[in-house]
Amino acid sequence: MAALVVRSVRDLLKRADFAKVPRRHRHKKKWAATEPKFPATRLALQNFDMTYSMQFGELWPSIRVSLLSEQKYGALVNNFGAWDHVSAELEQLNARDFVNKAHARGEQEPESSQTAAPSPASWACSPNLRCFTFTRGDVSRFPPARLGSLGVMDYYLMDAASLLPVLALGLQPGDTVLDLCAAPGGKTLALLQTGCCRNLAANDLSTSRTGRLQKILYSYVPQDIRDRSRVRVTSWDGRKWGELEGDTYDRVLVDVPCTTDRHSLHEEENNIFQRSRKKERQILPMLQVQLLAAGLLATKPGGYVVYSTCSLSHLQNEYVVQGAIELLANQYSIEVRVEDLSHFRKLFMDTFSFFPSCQVGELVIPNLMANFGPMYFCKMCRLT
Amino acid sequence: MAALGRQVSAWYHLIPLTWARMSRQTPQKKMTASSLCKLTTASTGGGLEEVPCVQDPACRTHLPQCLLEKQSAPVDGGPWEREEVITSLLDMGFSDVHVNELLTVQPGTHPQQVLDIVSELILLGVNPEPVCVALKKSPQLLKLPVMHMKKRSSYLRKLGLGEGKLRRVLHCCPEILTMRQRDIANTVRVLRDKCLFTVQQVTEILHRCPYVLREDPGELEYKFQYAYFRMGVKHADVVRTDFLQYSITKTRQRHTFLERLGRYQTPDKKGQTQVPNPLLRDILRVSEAEFLARTARSSAEEFEVFKKLLAREEEEEPENPMPGDKSTINASKI
Repeated sequence: MAALVVRSVRDLLKRADFAKVPRRHRHKKKWAATEPKFPATRLALQNFDMTYSMQFGELWPSIRVSLLSEQKYGALVNNFGAWDHVSAELEQLNARDFVNKAHARGEQEPESSQTAAPSPASWACSPNLRCFTFTRGDVSRFPPARLGSLGVMDYYLMDAASLLPVLALGLQPGDTVLDLCAAPGGKTLALLQTGCCRNLAANDLSTSRTGRLQKILYSYVPQDIRDRSRVRVTSWDGRKWGELEGDTYDRVLVDVPCTTDRHSLHEEENNIFQRSRKKERQILPMLQVQLLAAGLLATKPGGYVVYSTCSLSHLQNEYVVQGAIELLANQYSIEVRVEDLSHFRKLFMDTFSFFPSCQVGELVIPNLMANFGPMYFCKMCRLT
Repeated sequence: MAALGRQVSAWYHLIPLTWARMSRQTPQKKMTASSLCKLTTASTGGGLEEVPCVQDPACRTHLPQCLLEKQSAPVDGGPWEREEVITSLLDMGFSDVHVNELLTVQPGTHPQQVLDIVSELILLGVNPEPVCVALKKSPQLLKLPVMHMKKRSSYLRKLGLGEGKLRRVLHCCPEILTMRQRDIANTVRVLRDKCLFTVQQVTEILHRCPYVLREDPGELEYKFQYAYFRMGVKHADVVRTDFLQYSITKTRQRHTFLERLGRYQTPDKKGQTQVPNPLLRDILRVSEAEFLARTARSSAEEFEVFKKLLAREEEEEPENPMPGDKSTINASKI
């Protein structure tokens, strides 16, 4: 009799609706002493083999080998330091500024005036960005960034493909800019480098990651620039931005949390493919749609939004863009137009490998000759 | 003419077999004349002042007529001694041309010495033609001390490398006769005790991939472990595909490339894979161009970049763990 009572009490407790804190945020008392038999990195690879072999077909093997091999970096020159000096040093190492190369290419091509002239805003790049990479097939590494003579770091090492969403956003002097999921801060730094930000709002849900963002800003951007650009760093929920600051910004960058494909194949810690995070991973596309919708709502009519991820998955890329546009049309009667980036893509074709068949947006795919990416980005204009 | 040729060659084949059979079955005393003379001359240290076999009573009955007739003391390397050697060599099945080559390829060698060395090789089951080829390629073999040669022969026989299996090994790796027995034993020990090949498999490996004798035994073991644990290749297939002859760098480059492309999977505990693995010969035996075109289906420039990246990864890997533990292989990142 007593046993029965105990058991039913226990069942009751189990069924009681205790606060649904995701398991990973609860306090972890016991830590494993041995390596997992089936690590999350392996689960990630299995997942990719299943989805991407269908999505990319014959292209998948070359993408796969690149993802599993060492990636290639670009050096974003810090304009607030001795940038001409640094550029010369990087040239000495046999690296080249790919942004400059793209502009040179753009000037050479007369065809843009012959075909239906695309509106300048759709392919003009954000100015003042200098990023060096080694040539195709060159596997040299950049030396780690150093503190320059002006008290700030000389360059920032990042995946060169991460610069493309910032370039595509096409900042113009005096813009108010929002970076909705800013951490750890590479793209935020690039936005500041353009020198176009009258106001920059950088937000990330995670306080630890905004901490990293702050550190980067301190190391790279002098105090007076930070004050002048009125850089505001916050740790709020990005989905609320439509209500918080609706119709406010000229340019919005929504670089959403995703399955970080390359990272998930190498790092075991906090890997999103852990079995305990399966639910979180499954609702990711929905979260991404909500964030993009919030970003669009926070844009002024006539303003631009760039959505970007570092995943190869259709579900996190094109589906999200289409889903958010639909949501805005249905729920808010707001019209959003996708911008054609094919001319933009042509400018950078020599440096990066692009996937030829995206329905909307552009996708940089990793290739051993140019082991950048994955990076998906799509530019939109809020019309109403 | 052809029939005569066949007859002659048949006779040539007969001679080594006869020798080999006799050496196995009969005690030394009953050997034919040539070897008996060799024994007695060896006891005097090689150089011939007089005919010592006259003093040996047991010998007297077996001596050929020519020897008994020419009892006048010859100087070492004297013409009749040389004649004797030539006759013996011809008896063994060498042609005139061969005999000439053998006696001149290493000038300064006593003809009896040549005969001794050549006899051991014939007794090991190597045919006359291959013996010539081997000795022409490595004339220094003729300078080996005969005792060493005999000891080595019996060791090789123990390893199963008699009966003609030695021909290929001699051609690729003549140092199998000159190197220290301890080194051969180390290689054999690694193959047998560490890699767990059977005795027949070890013989087969030495026969087909003689270059393993040149490798450091530790690296040989690593190569095997790479095949067995990393690639899931079983013992019989390691032997059959001559896996051990390929350089570990080449094997690792091609295998890792295929693995990261998704075209090769290490079989699980049941030996199954989700994709059919390409045949080993399509990975290792083919040229790089064919490997890239057919097996990897990738480009040469991508493979070049990959090789550089892999070399750097290996350099930076902190003390490469031996791929001996299957569970770590499954858990480690690819």
